[in-house]
Amino acid sequence: MAHTSRNTTLPGGVPKLSRSAVYKKRALYKRKKVATVPAVKEAALTKTKTVAGEKNGGTRVVAVQKSPRFYPTEDSKTPLKNRRVIKPTKLRTTIVPGSVVILLAGSHRGKRVVVLKQLPSGLLLVTGPYKINGVPLRRVDQTYVIATSTKVDLPALPAIGDEIFKRKGKPTKNEKEMFVDNAGDNSYKISAEKVALQKEIDALVVPAVKKVDMLQSYLRSRFTLTKGQFPHEMQF
Amino acid sequence: MLYKRYIEIGRVCFIRLGDDVGKSAVVVDLVDQKHLMVDGPGGLGRKVVRLNQVALTDIKINIPRGCKTKTVRTALAKEGVEAKLAATSLVKKFAAKNAKAQLGDFARFKNRVAKTASNRKIRSTVRKLKKSS
Repeated sequence: MAHTSRNTTLPGGVPKLSRSAVYKKRALYKRKKVATVPAVKEAALTKTKTVAGEKNGGTRVVAVQKSPRFYPTEDSKTPLKNRRVIKPTKLRTTIVPGSVVILLAGSHRGKRVVVLKQLPSGLLLVTGPYKINGVPLRRVDQTYVIATSTKVDLPALPAIGDEIFKRKGKPTKNEKEMFVDNAGDNSYKISAEKVALQKEIDALVVPAVKKVDMLQSYLRSRFTLTKGQFPHEMQF
Repeated sequence: MLYKRYIEIGRVCFIRLGDDVGKSAVVVDLVDQKHLMVDGPGGLGRKVVRLNQVALTDIKINIPRGCKTKTVRTALAKEGVEAKLAATSLVKKFAAKNAKAQLGDFARFKNRVAKTASNRKIRSTVRKLKKSS
């Protein structure tokens, strides 16, 4: 039956009992396990191949694995294996899907907005809802946000990832086109897919908002500071 | 009489500054011109406080100078000081201020909306009365 360690660690990180003392304590002299090493099948290094031609001796002994054509002049050290596991950013405990949050930066600063979820990139997926305050499905970093204690009871939402927010890269200029005035409009246009997704999300979130008294007008209003109000002294 | 409430043994006071804000205590002894020895129920216990940390209430109990905490507690219970304190404006105002500070952003918004609505009503009624007079 398994037991905790029969040894203890003294302050300083030093084990109390020596290796031999632990051996005695565990009575390993009684419990020596002799491991049966399986017989190693020696792989054949060479094989005989039949060779065509009369004068070629019929068979030839050839190495199974051909030696490499190239050796580096010096042995270089192999770099250590990267065991990094990438996880999404740790989300503040006060931010939960459905919590109302105040945006602090960007064109929508001061607006109160509903958090839908945390995306795999670590950013928060947020929406006004668009119908209420004009904030579309948007990604926001949690550091640019004040989390309030208000929470909206959200229904099950369709799965959304970071892919829909990926912007198409700028078209590479051809040599011929370099002197031609690039009249093409490279400004960002909202895709029809995004508009449809926004409508879908609004249809789910807006009724949930309307259920709470005054929550809709709260989301319509912007957050401001008045005289005597200091954010570090305020409870959100 | 310039002053109505005096610092004396048995005077119940309200702590308005320092770590024990909001707690009430009884003056048990005087240390010097600027310090009092107070004893209060609950987590306060026996403590030396500065005069400016403290606000006096109308309540006074009968206790001997420097008496034990047990005596103080029984005297407070006998006089029903806790109920009297809850009625004082100091305690009420402190509780209201505290409650306001603990409000969340949504509650603050609702209060603001209610206030503007009531103010509007008041102004319109005043205007009507002015017109009619």
